Amino acid sequence: MSTLEIKDLRASVETKEGRKQILNGVNLTIESNTTHAIMGPNGSGKSTLAYTLAGHPKYQVDGGEVLLDGQNLLEMTPDERARAGLFLAMQYPVEVPGVSMTNFLRTAVTAVQGKAPSIRTWTKELSEAMERLRMDPKFAQRSVNEGFSGGEKKRAEVLQLELLRPKFAILDETDSGLDVDALRIVSEGVNRAKENTGMGIMMVTHYTRILKYIKPDVVHVFAHGQVVETGGPELADVLEEEGYDKYLPEGTTESALA
Amino acid sequence: MTSSPEIAMPAADPKDPYAMPALMPSSADRAIRSFDYADFDIPTRKQEDFRYTPVERVEEFFQPFASSDDVTATVGMIDGSALPDTVTVRTASKEETGVPAVGEPADRIEAIEWAAAPSELVIDIRADTPTPVLVDVSGHGLDLAALHIVIVARPHVRADVVIEHTGSARLAEGVEVTAMQGSELSVTSVQEWNDDSKHVGGHRLRIGAEATLRHSVVTLGGDVVRLRMDQDFDGPHAKSDMLGIYFVGAGKHYEHRTMVVHNHPECMSRVIYKGALSGEHAHSTWVGNALIEPTAPGTDSYELNRNLVLTKGAIADSEPNLEIENGNIVGAGHASSVGRFDEEQLFYMESRGVPERQARKLVVHGFFKELVDQVGIPQIDDRIMATLDARLDESVAAPIAEKADDGTANNNENYAHNQEEN
Repeated sequence: MSTLEIKDLRASVETKEGRKQILNGVNLTIESNTTHAIMGPNGSGKSTLAYTLAGHPKYQVDGGEVLLDGQNLLEMTPDERARAGLFLAMQYPVEVPGVSMTNFLRTAVTAVQGKAPSIRTWTKELSEAMERLRMDPKFAQRSVNEGFSGGEKKRAEVLQLELLRPKFAILDETDSGLDVDALRIVSEGVNRAKENTGMGIMMVTHYTRILKYIKPDVVHVFAHGQVVETGGPELADVLEEEGYDKYLPEGTTESALA
Repeated sequence: MTSSPEIAMPAADPKDPYAMPALMPSSADRAIRSFDYADFDIPTRKQEDFRYTPVERVEEFFQPFASSDDVTATVGMIDGSALPDTVTVRTASKEETGVPAVGEPADRIEAIEWAAAPSELVIDIRADTPTPVLVDVSGHGLDLAALHIVIVARPHVRADVVIEHTGSARLAEGVEVTAMQGSELSVTSVQEWNDDSKHVGGHRLRIGAEATLRHSVVTLGGDVVRLRMDQDFDGPHAKSDMLGIYFVGAGKHYEHRTMVVHNHPECMSRVIYKGALSGEHAHSTWVGNALIEPTAPGTDSYELNRNLVLTKGAIADSEPNLEIENGNIVGAGHASSVGRFDEEQLFYMESRGVPERQARKLVVHGFFKELVDQVGIPQIDDRIMATLDARLDESVAAPIAEKADDGTANNNENYAHNQEEN
């Protein structure tokens, strides 16, 4: 049983107009085996929250703590955070030319598990995991994310999630750019990983449609860099009906509907 | 001829050639070619061909010298087996080689090398030779030495030649390569010199009708290495691949200049040079010249240079030059870039648990791997990758100061595939 505690997290980013505060004191606790949806309008800072937790160098932490079973993640480098059990599935996975998926995955699994998996079990595990995500075996030989379609990139993210078996997974807009079939396959992968490992999930999303496939236990509304409301799954239904308008400054509108 | 005042013909002003580009002299007209070094001026940085060269570091090669015995060259097979009877190796006097020289020296360094080399090492490949021939060039000291190697693949012969340079030396080397009609030849020159070594010279390459030459240069060691490659064709439907791999450490200067001359119809050329630089005052230069002459309709030519600057204080010069004198061509393109590690790539891999140094190694590995495979000599693939990895280890073992984005390297992604017709 693990706990991810975010306490009064503040972060900013350097922009052309100077330093801009984006996270304004985020408080959130996620336990193993639970799924939290972070929902909010565009520009509310929910993706910044995801990247700040993973340690992206672009975001400067200005205060607060993030504890994974008591260890402060904010004092760790991104790779140390991953080895501590954090995983970020990115909205826009990065292409790494010349590095094959199979080489990259094996390197990552070796780093996270602390030892190289045996060749025989590894090959079997990889091919089975790829088959479950309906990925062409040829993808293993291709360069990381290079020339992958949007849907293929998201499957490759979930493949890594399944192989790396983190304690907590952050899914950043994992549903974006997916058609219904791909959304189902990707969601099944996430649910399978949760079932197999008992991981906790923080799912960042603008739209409610992914919640039909990955059922949240808790739904948070995120606006101007903070959690402004927390409820059960029924809160997502309210957002679907009413949109984010009431969380936005007066005079602006936005719809939560896909 | 005096001009009539009634007819004002445009005249090119040699002081301002760009005012009248159509009347600019072709580089083929301009280039001096001579066996006599006195025909060339002493190189200075004011000369176009030497503007990136630290001439003071190679000035000993600008004046005639008597070659020492500090460099030896022995020819065998890469797997240690005896030379097969398909390959004839002999030392010939320069006057009586029995095979045509590819061309005359193209700069003073080459002309001095020609004058200083006591003889020619001739490798004549008369029939298909499946195992690569290895020319082992070893340096045993820093007295100036000159070496001239002639490689000939007879018509329709398939063969591979690897020239390996190791040890400590100050060497001027000329290599002449003739791939006769219909042959398929590869020549790979590997520079793994010790840190005190200097190596200058040139490769002159001629490719016969329907022949293929894959010429590769792998420069991983030495203080200064400056090589120019001049290639032309001896008939139509030939193919030229010129590949280059370099890793430049602190204080080193590696310069590769390729000159591809399309002088026959429907030939194809591909120039791909990739390098990484690491450390204070690491300096690389790639100048890729391509000239498509009026006699070469149907030319398909492309050249590419990519540089990965791993640390602050390293400089990569990259300059493609295209000169197209024929409107009836398939393509003439170029791409050139100097860039740093991509922070997003590093973060992506780190976020999967891969430590930063290992992530950097993976990226550099990926940068070179495909090109090393293209060099196509399995017997040296692994060693090249291992040496690159070792160089990279030395590089990342140094304090990582390369995160600054202060623009010491030009991030000058300049990707243009030109289909020029004029």
